[in-house]
Amino acid sequence: MTIVLEIKNVSKKFGPVTVFSHVNLSVEKGQIVALVGENGAGKSTLLNILGGVYPAGTYEGSIWIEGEEKRFRGEKDSKRAGIEMIHQEISIHLDLSVAENIFLGNLSNRKGFVSWKQVYLDAQNYLDIVKLNVDPHETARNLSTSQHQLLSIAKALASHPKILLFDEPTSALTEADAANLLEIIKGLQKRQITCLYISHRLEEVIHLADRIIVLRDGMLISDKPKNEITINQVIRDMVGRALDEMYPKQQITVGDEVLRVEGITVAHPYIAGKNIVEDISFSVSAGEILGVSGLVGSGRTETMDAIFGCSKRKSGKIYIQGAEVHIVRPSDAMKAGIGLVTEDRKRSGIIPTMSLRENMTIADLQAVSRMGLIQKNQERQLSQTYYDKLQIRATGIEDNILHLSGGNQQKVVLSKWLLKDIKVLILDEPTRGVDVGAKVEIYNVITDLARRGLAIVMVSSELTELMGMCDRLLVFSRGKIRGDFPRQEATQEKVMSAATCVDDLM
Amino acid sequence: MVMSEKSANRVTNIFKAKEFGLFMILVVLSILIGIRNPIFFSFHNIIDIFRNTSYTLIIAVGMTFVLVAKGLDLSVGSMIAICGMVCALFLSWGYPIFFCILTGLLTGAAFGAINALCIVVFHIPSMIATLGCMYMARGLVLVVTKGAPVYPLPKEFVNLGTRTFFGVPFIVVLSFIICLVAHFVLNNTTYGRRIYAIGGNIETAKYAGINVAGTTASVYIISGVLAALSGIMTSARMGSGQPSVGDGTEMTVITAVIIGGTSLNGGVGTILGTALGALLTNVLSTGMNLVGISAYWQKFVTGLIIIVAVGIDQYQRRKVRS
Repeated sequence: MTIVLEIKNVSKKFGPVTVFSHVNLSVEKGQIVALVGENGAGKSTLLNILGGVYPAGTYEGSIWIEGEEKRFRGEKDSKRAGIEMIHQEISIHLDLSVAENIFLGNLSNRKGFVSWKQVYLDAQNYLDIVKLNVDPHETARNLSTSQHQLLSIAKALASHPKILLFDEPTSALTEADAANLLEIIKGLQKRQITCLYISHRLEEVIHLADRIIVLRDGMLISDKPKNEITINQVIRDMVGRALDEMYPKQQITVGDEVLRVEGITVAHPYIAGKNIVEDISFSVSAGEILGVSGLVGSGRTETMDAIFGCSKRKSGKIYIQGAEVHIVRPSDAMKAGIGLVTEDRKRSGIIPTMSLRENMTIADLQAVSRMGLIQKNQERQLSQTYYDKLQIRATGIEDNILHLSGGNQQKVVLSKWLLKDIKVLILDEPTRGVDVGAKVEIYNVITDLARRGLAIVMVSSELTELMGMCDRLLVFSRGKIRGDFPRQEATQEKVMSAATCVDDLM
Repeated sequence: MVMSEKSANRVTNIFKAKEFGLFMILVVLSILIGIRNPIFFSFHNIIDIFRNTSYTLIIAVGMTFVLVAKGLDLSVGSMIAICGMVCALFLSWGYPIFFCILTGLLTGAAFGAINALCIVVFHIPSMIATLGCMYMARGLVLVVTKGAPVYPLPKEFVNLGTRTFFGVPFIVVLSFIICLVAHFVLNNTTYGRRIYAIGGNIETAKYAGINVAGTTASVYIISGVLAALSGIMTSARMGSGQPSVGDGTEMTVITAVIIGGTSLNGGVGTILGTALGALLTNVLSTGMNLVGISAYWQKFVTGLIIIVAVGIDQYQRRKVRS
């Protein structure tokens, strides 16, 4: 076996903070190596060094590719050495065609003229490798999220890489799409392509990788081949303590009904005459955690947005504690006692220009102000309380939110709603892009809220999480509720078959 | 013990603040100019710089609100002309001064509201909406006046432009008060916080229950009213309503605000920075005159400074993020 990549004694600091120190690693050709660890453990930073995002000189130690020391000055150098990076956030040019995306910056040309015929022919070849069944002429905008992810792999393959770096490629995908993606990555192994892979989904990692490396606090904690490893072992290595119980689900007596929605219908934003959400009715009671499952595009998020008044309902009524409330905008929902943690933290959860304190109080400025004047001391105290309570890891409440890891950002977003006196909390993908340790902390917060008598709606793409946390599980598909299971009856098979509408394919 | 720690913190915070760098540049620049030409430090010249700065600064305060909310207002230059003109017309028809000033301010508010309507209700990008408004307002001025200035204006009104308190011109006092109020509003009120939130991330602001449309609309109205105020004071200073006044002022104002550290990407900016930015641009142009740099080079230097200032700002921001 030939060694394709060697990392020798690499250390990286950001200012005074050491991200990792003296990491050594060598990877054989064609291996799939998974890097796991909590957020802030240094995984992404390591990939970014390999990808040339952090140029040589900003770190100590050396990088060797096929026995040759490389000093990348930028991403271009890294690409030239045969390294391609596939980022968590997919960078696809939505208005270009599939083929143009694949060969962007790499168009085959003859004397400066692009030969389009050849481009589309070659594109088809790469699409076949990643099993993406679309026309190369199609505009990228018309593709789904998972298709975008496959497209970005096709794009990376087009430059004939030796090493592919994946930074959480499945975090935006549903389980079915993720499974498909993993099969494709496995297929790449036959082409002698080496893969370095970061993911928070441990089941996926164990399934996929030949070798699993655990990073913690900037140190390489363990490095073991697949057959010597168990999930519990990995988790213990990651958090430095045993996690007997991922899900702190406790039996909480369910109280009176708090939220009831009847016949929610939302028109499709792009297709006239079609509904993206159709006639959705359900109810949640005090202390109950209602899980909502379904593939991306099943109408789950749209339903929650409609309840919160962020998108227009065609019809449907909302009741809080039996009384109808009229919600046309988010402030109405908040007045009625509903909170919503949105699915996409970066897009609609945080305000990147603001400190933790400002982010925490933004949804409830009334609580920290008198006659429109912000009471700064009161604001500081209140945000400090929740900063401590949720054990947010940062330099303090005045830290900028962008300095935090995903898990800690999510805790800030959560505390935004804890400050308020709410009755219902809707959580849309509350643990997306969050590491195991922070996940458990977030589950604890959710459980605590339920114990305090809040009604909780939890939308998630991770079935294990829903089955671990929820009292009841709704399955959405194509804008309708296709399944309603109590906790004891929910099984992976039942939920998946409901989510994919096995019995009523149109 | 705790107190001294706190005040020590406050002192280091002053040095760390972005505005401190700007202030130092201003001081160094002033000294350099003063060495070349001591007239720069004459009382008369300093007052003159402050007076000239004030006309820009009043509008720049409004522009800061707009830019913090991630908008842009190109119509302020024309607003100076049309509001100054409306005020002057009513004055020339013999209406009471107070009423005329109010009419001028309301004209500014009305044009601000038109901007807001286009942006918030019809979703026209702010640059386009205010560009349209800029041409329409300038056009209206020319239609109404046929290009001729409106004068004479009553003496009491003209006095506003020349009046001083202990040697300090009224306009300087006025702009100082406006800055204080604006600083307080942005820093200490929920309204100010909402403006920053909208500029920082409009989606998050929406989901936090903030009235995004109303708040966005309000910043354009504030910008319109402040431009109107500057226009009315300009009429008073010149003793007439001039149809061509304020041509290109929007760029001077945006330059000052951006040099002051306000980001075109929204969510970032302070009134102190804006005030320093406005002062710096004025010191620079006055200084170049005094030092004897040709007017042709002055534009070049201004352009260079915008690029350098924003370049430094972007560099620092990138450093913070990584």
